[in-house]
Amino acid sequence: MQHCAGAGEASNHSLMRILLVEDDELVADAIVRGLSRASFTVDHAPSAEQAQVALAVEHFDLAVVDIGLPRADGLSLLAALRKDGKAMPVLILTARYALADKIRAFDLGADDFLMKPFEQAELAARCRALIRRASLAPSGMVRLGRLSIDLLGHQLQIDSQSVELTRREWLVLESLAHNLGRIVTKERLMQALSGWEQDLTPNAVETHISRLRSKLDGAAVIRAVRGLGYRLDEAEVLPR
Amino acid sequence: MMSVRRRLLILLLPALAILMLVGGFADYLIAVATTRNAYDQALASTAVAAAAYLRLENGELRFTPSARAVAALRADSAGATLYSIIGPKGELLAGAAQLPTAAGAARTGVNNLTFRDAEFQGRELRVATLLTPTDVGPAKITVATTVETRARAQRVMLLGKLLVDFAELDITLLLVWIGVYYGLRPLRALQEQVGARSPRELQRFNETQVPGEVRPLVTAFNRLLELLHDAALSQHRFVADAAHQMRTPVAGLLAQLELLLQAPGAAAVKAELLTVNRGIQHLAHSANQLLALARAEPFSALPENFQSIPLQPLVEQAVERNIDRAEKGGLDLGAEAAAASVIGDAWLLDDLLGNLIDNALKYTPSRGHVTVRCGVLDGCPFLEVEDDGPGIPESERLRVRERFYRRPGSAGMGCGLGLAIVEEISRVHKAAFTIESGANGRGTRMKVLFRRQTT
Repeated sequence: MQHCAGAGEASNHSLMRILLVEDDELVADAIVRGLSRASFTVDHAPSAEQAQVALAVEHFDLAVVDIGLPRADGLSLLAALRKDGKAMPVLILTARYALADKIRAFDLGADDFLMKPFEQAELAARCRALIRRASLAPSGMVRLGRLSIDLLGHQLQIDSQSVELTRREWLVLESLAHNLGRIVTKERLMQALSGWEQDLTPNAVETHISRLRSKLDGAAVIRAVRGLGYRLDEAEVLPR
Repeated sequence: MMSVRRRLLILLLPALAILMLVGGFADYLIAVATTRNAYDQALASTAVAAAAYLRLENGELRFTPSARAVAALRADSAGATLYSIIGPKGELLAGAAQLPTAAGAARTGVNNLTFRDAEFQGRELRVATLLTPTDVGPAKITVATTVETRARAQRVMLLGKLLVDFAELDITLLLVWIGVYYGLRPLRALQEQVGARSPRELQRFNETQVPGEVRPLVTAFNRLLELLHDAALSQHRFVADAAHQMRTPVAGLLAQLELLLQAPGAAAVKAELLTVNRGIQHLAHSANQLLALARAEPFSALPENFQSIPLQPLVEQAVERNIDRAEKGGLDLGAEAAAASVIGDAWLLDDLLGNLIDNALKYTPSRGHVTVRCGVLDGCPFLEVEDDGPGIPESERLRVRERFYRRPGSAGMGCGLGLAIVEEISRVHKAAFTIESGANGRGTRMKVLFRRQTT
């Protein structure tokens, strides 16, 4: 068992522990170092059997599981994990092309599915999104860069400073925060707002979004995807 | 190779013809014998009737027929009749003296009647002679008739017989022809079934619905289909395994390189590392595309993977997957998805859409727009990706679908397989892939139009 604590960048997920189950040394080594650099604590198990041992004694916030493992494969590990009542998010990694695998993975309770090869940044982003979504339910708190959204207390803070939102703006933000990293359709936003406005036009949604954007002031990004809807993202500093 | 029908006819024709000729000849012989007997009977009764007019007058034998009897002798039902009545001493009592008699010929009749064929005054005759006893000794009554009438009757009979036989032969052959036509109908039905199959349709033919003679053929054919299906399955598995074998080390290399680029000393060799990174990316991309092409081939696309696929979520997911990439390239990527669904292979359709979007994102310059659409047009579902980039000249629109073809001056990473994959996947789904200009003649619109869905 390899244990690698996040080093360097101080961040709020340094306490987040990920179990990586991957037999290929080259890939495993890169993922352990990559995710550690993204401030996660990563434990590596090269087989399903070793992963079971680790899961029995330790708590993990997320498991990244490769399907192609020696002996018991990743999917049977996933099945065993869910059977034991472990509800932590599981991201399935695969290099194998088979639709059946993807369907089975989701049927068995996988939370995300990523094909090799992948970019480290993408893997880290998906891990973050999965952990955030999983922690959302118990705490009702969403942390996104400088943003802190308290879904139970109906509070938005940027850099620990409270920001006042109108009821409609809050409803929009709530919908987006519940689906971090995923696109929320305009129809769904309209449904969320319809209890408050009788004659709702699609333009009204845009109006609320643009007001919300100016209040977020770049601390987070509400991305419009033409024809589909909106997505709340962390404000990234794009490396140029 | 000759058709079964022709072969059967060619085999049957001479045999049937010989059989009918022999039968005809036998019929003819029977007819000849029958007519001869009938004619002989007539001659005999004429001779017997003539005998009644012989009487003794003063110890001399005389022939005294009534006028009616003479007329009857001259021309009876058997045609022109000649006769001679010769007394016991050889004296001519009446008739033609030189008329040949049948006396001495083998006795064929009763009552001392004899018959034979003879020639008299250049004419063929049938002669009957009756030796009738009188008080002064036996008299010889000879009656003859020409055979022409008899021969004519026989000829007519023969001709009629041959005509009937010939008609019989024709009808027999026609019946054989029709019989074979109907007999081979299941074979033609089978042929149509086989002809209508696509390379994906490898299910067995029903062996119980064909005649016994064809069943072994269908069984053998089914076995071949099974082998084909197994081969398709192993090809499918190979493609999946090959993907796994290549992707894993490539993923490891890329991930390691990504880390290396962030390492403290990397700045000094950053350009070189980026070149290596591009090389590996290109390798990964090419491997991916080659495998995508391999699984799109009709032979390895498994029929069991074909299901009803809603296109709307497919479009939405594909757009969502490419949003970040579009943003990096300064492009506005959007969707116009209407409800539609097709019977297809979800993964192949995802490959298809991914390649169309990839192509558009690659060739559309910054600040451009790429729109992914799905919907139903005149009952036919479609997938479409439109961009407002530089467009593809009409002369190039066929070539860009060819494998490994890259347009002159096209930059960036690519192996020229994207649109070939789209073409192949369209074909497997019996869809039409077209490339045309976008709105207002600008950019490119790539459309995959599926067939009207039956279910």
